[in-house]
Amino acid sequence: MPRTVISSGDSVAIGPYSPGAGGGGLFFLSGKAALDSSGNVIAPGDIAAQTEATIQAIEAVLADAGGTLDDVVKTTVFLSDMRHSKGMNEVYARKFTGGRPARSTILMVPPAVDLLVEIDVIAMIGE
Amino acid sequence: MGRTTIRLESGSKAVGPYCSGGRGGRLLFSSGQTSLDPEGNAIGVGDVETQTVETLKNLVAVLAAGGASVEDIVKTTVFLPDLRHYVSMNEAYAKFFPKDPPARSTILAPLALPELLVEIEAVAVLGD
Repeated sequence: MPRTVISSGDSVAIGPYSPGAGGGGLFFLSGKAALDSSGNVIAPGDIAAQTEATIQAIEAVLADAGGTLDDVVKTTVFLSDMRHSKGMNEVYARKFTGGRPARSTILMVPPAVDLLVEIDVIAMIGE
Repeated sequence: MGRTTIRLESGSKAVGPYCSGGRGGRLLFSSGQTSLDPEGNAIGVGDVETQTVETLKNLVAVLAAGGASVEDIVKTTVFLPDLRHYVSMNEAYAKFFPKDPPARSTILAPLALPELLVEIEAVAVLGD
């Protein structure tokens, strides 16, 4: 099997998907958001706290795969409202230090009313 | 350099300035797939389960043309115009990945044609 699937760990997937999978030197995470294991929104309406919780969830999956935020090469940030850009960026910049990954920021229709941010990550792990 | 593009004339044929998939090294990236037939007509109008199955079949065809299979998929991105279709999409989707499903992100987004209820893109990893 050429690919590796992370199927357990601190971050549990709540659907027909795994927290992360990779191969060929790259590791792909499922989109992360500030949701608890029951799917409830953490810190409704608070962009700073949600960004923090989202990146912590990302770190948990990366750790399961043997990586850290330093291994991330690309992120896609989905925001429910571009007015949250500043609040998200402040936390994001504090978490991603040094050589920051490439990033795209996209306006999303949030899947839950109070969910303000979701982040997709690709890391270089393995090989 | 070292890049291969996948072009299909069948169900997953690209209908714009893009190819059906691209491969470099051990990674294969598909273009977004939908339930359009080769003539550009949507299969399963109003039926997100049928559209999910047809979309995944088209995705498999792209992967096959690039030498990969369903088991090689590491990441998918599912685009849904309507969150109310999430559960039905999931049911059809889950049958395609009975064991160790790939990572996935689901994005709420309008699609190119109003009759399309789902679009899926994927990244697969091939053996050495």
